[in-house]
Amino acid sequence: MEKVKVRLTVNGNSFCLEVGAKERLLDTLREQLRLTGVKEGCSIGECGACTVILNGEAVNSCLVLTGQLDQSEVVTVEGLAQDGRLEPLQQAFIDHHAVQCGFCTPGMLMSAKALLMKDPHPGREQIKTALEGNLCRCTGYQQIIEAIESLTGPERE
Amino acid sequence: MKDFQLLTTRELSAALQYLASGSKVKLLAGGTDLLVDLAQKSHRLAGIDYLLDISQIKELKLIRVRDNRLEIGSLVTHTDLSENPLTRRYFPMLVQAARVIGSTQIRNRGTVGGNINHASPAADLLPPLLALRSEVELTAQGGSRVLPLSQFVTGPYQTCLRPDELLTTLRLPLPSPDYYGSFQRIGRRKAVTIARLSLALVVRVTNGLFQDSRLVPGSATPYPQPLARVEAALNNQAVAMLDLEEMGRLAGEEMVALSGERWSTPYKKPALASLVKKALLAIMEEVAADGKG
Repeated sequence: MEKVKVRLTVNGNSFCLEVGAKERLLDTLREQLRLTGVKEGCSIGECGACTVILNGEAVNSCLVLTGQLDQSEVVTVEGLAQDGRLEPLQQAFIDHHAVQCGFCTPGMLMSAKALLMKDPHPGREQIKTALEGNLCRCTGYQQIIEAIESLTGPERE
Repeated sequence: MKDFQLLTTRELSAALQYLASGSKVKLLAGGTDLLVDLAQKSHRLAGIDYLLDISQIKELKLIRVRDNRLEIGSLVTHTDLSENPLTRRYFPMLVQAARVIGSTQIRNRGTVGGNINHASPAADLLPPLLALRSEVELTAQGGSRVLPLSQFVTGPYQTCLRPDELLTTLRLPLPSPDYYGSFQRIGRRKAVTIARLSLALVVRVTNGLFQDSRLVPGSATPYPQPLARVEAALNNQAVAMLDLEEMGRLAGEEMVALSGERWSTPYKKPALASLVKKALLAIMEEVAADGKG
């Protein structure tokens, strides 16, 4: 089968990749680039465990073919910490006990990060909307919302 | 599933050329339905030779006003649609419908064109787009044709799109100030849920009378279509004197006439009646606030 050539920037690094016709962004990240922070949960866009930031927006990496992404920019959970220091959002998750089993955490972090990039001062409703596509089967939503709220400062009127 | 090749292009002309080639080509845009089909090895992808990715064709991502119409490119995402100042100004109903599609992640990828082309009975955008009398522009190598959206969708998951055509633009006539609209939706839970029932209602109010009514329920009939009998019953009624119960009852009956008695009828008939009443009430309140009732 013919492969497709794709130039992709992932967590600030440029890659020139050859991908199969059915290869999802999720597969490329995990199998080719070994970025296993991206989790595969439901494979049909319901659970959000595979959420990454694509060109500035949160997307399910199980619902995108890598072949569609020439010249795109991707950020995964591995791209959050800089110089060995956790991103404030990650630290807030720890401080607010927003992690239980941890499987949904990378996806939760990326949805939250995409929200804060777009709007640094979201209200509780905006936070809930940003997370509506991320399931946590330990049901620790409250702590996750509180972790994000701790970074947002006073709500914008 | 047999192997297919993935084709990508940033040019509309190249996409149209591929479509005209005579091979079995399936279009890929946001992928929020198609990749689910792929994961589930759906029969909908059986026998295709090429998957043609059109998601990077920039000219189909525009929203603009031209000739007194709002033009929406078929590759506009649900997020872009609901955040766009023009949509927000002219068609709040469409914004309301787009904001409840799937999740944030789905809305960031899923496109208006995909929602229409998929033609699901539960498609969130079809009821408001039909109520707003949208037209679709279908483009092939030889030129384009424009059809009312009501003629484009021909059945459940069916449209009259030819294999060499691409849905390029949606056109909505800009409403005059005497038009009112309401969108209602019921899901099994608050977010990330398929519409159990929805309703789009658009009316003109002239001299205190309903005119030019358009009422389209979603997830109620085999595919979204206007309830013509309710519309006729609504026209020329005085806004202040309207019999809401009667309108709700008529809507339930017309739905059953179109869909037949189904397992869901005992729930959907009164639920639709209730949505019709809610939509009419919302419009009546708005009309009263404008001092036109």
